[in-house]
Amino acid sequence: MMHRRVLIIDDEESIQLVVQFGLKLSAGWDVLVASSGLEGIRQAASEQPDMILLDVMMPEMDGLTTFRELQNNGETRSIPVILLTAKAQASEKRLFNDTGVQGVITKPFNSLELAEQIIKVLDW
Amino acid sequence: MAGSKARPSSKKSAPPSHAGQADSIAAELRLQHQRAELFAEVTLKIRQSLQLKEILSTTVSEVQRILRADRVLIYQILPDGTGKAISEAVLPDFRSILGCEFPEEVFPTDYQALYAEGRVQAIADVRDPQAGLADCLVEFVEQFEIKAKLIVPILPHLNKAPAAAETLPANQLWGLLIAHHCQNPHPWSEFELALMQQLADQISIAIAQGELLEGLEEIVARRTAQLRQVNQDLQQEMNDRQQAEDALRRSEEQLRLITNALPVLIAYVDKKQRYQFNNQAYFNWLGKTPASIQGQTLKQVWGELYDQRMVIWVQRALSGETVTYENEIRWTDGSRRSVDVTYIPHREGSRIKGFFALTSDISDRKAIERMKDEFISVVSHELRTPLTSIHSALKILATGRLGNLSPDGQQMLEIADENTDRLVRLVNNVLDLQRIESGAVTMDRQLCNAAELMVTATESMQAMAQQHDITLSTEPVSIPLWADADYVVQTLTNLLSNAIKFSQPHSTVWLTAQQRQVEEIQFQIRDQGPGIPEAQLETIFERFHQVDSSDARKRGGTGLGLTICRKIIEQHGGRIWAESELARAVDFSLRCPP
Repeated sequence: MMHRRVLIIDDEESIQLVVQFGLKLSAGWDVLVASSGLEGIRQAASEQPDMILLDVMMPEMDGLTTFRELQNNGETRSIPVILLTAKAQASEKRLFNDTGVQGVITKPFNSLELAEQIIKVLDW
Repeated sequence: MAGSKARPSSKKSAPPSHAGQADSIAAELRLQHQRAELFAEVTLKIRQSLQLKEILSTTVSEVQRILRADRVLIYQILPDGTGKAISEAVLPDFRSILGCEFPEEVFPTDYQALYAEGRVQAIADVRDPQAGLADCLVEFVEQFEIKAKLIVPILPHLNKAPAAAETLPANQLWGLLIAHHCQNPHPWSEFELALMQQLADQISIAIAQGELLEGLEEIVARRTAQLRQVNQDLQQEMNDRQQAEDALRRSEEQLRLITNALPVLIAYVDKKQRYQFNNQAYFNWLGKTPASIQGQTLKQVWGELYDQRMVIWVQRALSGETVTYENEIRWTDGSRRSVDVTYIPHREGSRIKGFFALTSDISDRKAIERMKDEFISVVSHELRTPLTSIHSALKILATGRLGNLSPDGQQMLEIADENTDRLVRLVNNVLDLQRIESGAVTMDRQLCNAAELMVTATESMQAMAQQHDITLSTEPVSIPLWADADYVVQTLTNLLSNAIKFSQPHSTVWLTAQQRQVEEIQFQIRDQGPGIPEAQLETIFERFHQVDSSDARKRGGTGLGLTICRKIIEQHGGRIWAESELARAVDFSLRCPP
């Protein structure tokens, strides 16, 4: 399995941690952490991760706004984004997919299986 | 009184000379003129009255006066053949026979018949053998001092008036007009005979007129009674109508009182879509008085809303269908309200006259429903994030990569892990059910193939089947159907998951499908499990209902899976049911395109 650097943007610290542990233990990937949209955009631009896991529901700047900002920024436009959402509805998944994100993973998920899901969605 | 028929005698004068002839003619003409005047005078007197009694009285008096008879009487024949003098003028020296009744023998039926034919009997001297009166009769008449008599029949029909002719029988002898001379025999002159006959005719006319009058009076009385009855009936009808109108008005007042007190728009709209009735709520909600709406069309009252939301329902109601729909209206205070509208067609025979419209405010109910949905949705969403953390943290712990646990610690970890899985499923199911029930989900139906759906569902359940040592036997059949593929797959996987959970290891679960009718496909998921009691075949589709709840919990069920399946299938217009004969089976049928 190729080594990857993943940026997770989520205001929930517990999610940040289980994703960090899960990806590290299951795939040996490094995980960068951002607690807000703005911080995430900054880190994405400076760190250039291989992909971004982006939570939809966040205070201040929500996931979809953050995604649009990432798309508008030349430095971050090419980084693939997968949304993390608690909304499991098929129609909502379709809506998110229509925004141009590379994939949608619904909560709750098992962080030990997350790497496999990412590989499948991004076709790595 | 009876006797042989005799010609009336008259005085004959000596052959006249020419001059004498002229005098005689002149005298005769004078006499005729006098007679005519006398007849006219007597007739006039008689006719001055319409009362028969008075007429008869006048007649006998006049006859007595003119003929200088000693007694003049009117003898009435009664229906039983007897008779009596009912009117009389008699000189004081002679005996009155007024009121005397005579037996039938005095005036037998065959004599009556002769008089009925118009016979006139003039006897100058009752003792003259030529008069032909039997001795007994002479004796009888002499009781009344009668020396000469003249008898003329009174035959009302002979002088009949047209109307009377129809009511009186032909040739009916009503009575006799009789003149007596009691001092001496008396030869009856032509004039006397003529006068008597003339007056008898007048009496006949009077009787006919009297009877006609009586008939008329009877008719008038009958008609009057009829009119009175009609009048009474009319009065009764007017009273009844008045009462009915009063009752109707009271009923209308009550109806208006009740409808005005209800917090619902109530109206009657005719087939031209004009308001014919509306209640106070129209004023309270819309600020429009019932009077201002009366006669207005729906479009005039509702404006654009009519075209946008109402017209299709109005047309359906006017075609005879009872319809119910939800709408949103703006109140006079500017607030928007959700309303539930029902139109009930008003039929008269086969024709639709209009419809009743009932509109209730369901804003509060809608708000509560929205709050409930939002609450469930928020709670479910909010549960997912902590669940993700717990779930993942437990899985990471279970790897042992963060340090080993004691066997007891490992067991506790497994319990936590299993129950987290269950909690995840429960949250997912609650949210699914809420979304389907609230109508937030619409089935996105597209043409798909049964075989593909069956394969997808089987593949996703293969891992679970292997875990339980179950053989999944699927026979995909290529049948087109009209469905939301995601939801049909969710139903199939749910049913397969149930079948696997409740099957013994090394048994088989089958998934099959077949075309039942032209537009129907039936899927079946069958297993070799313990089966479902007959009484629970239907209730297993109710929420949180499980055949054996402790067993179901042990197997990780949430109690919502089958309820969700039923909701999904029903949203497709299909049907789902359970069968349990030897093995267990759940079938569902869906419509497919023609």
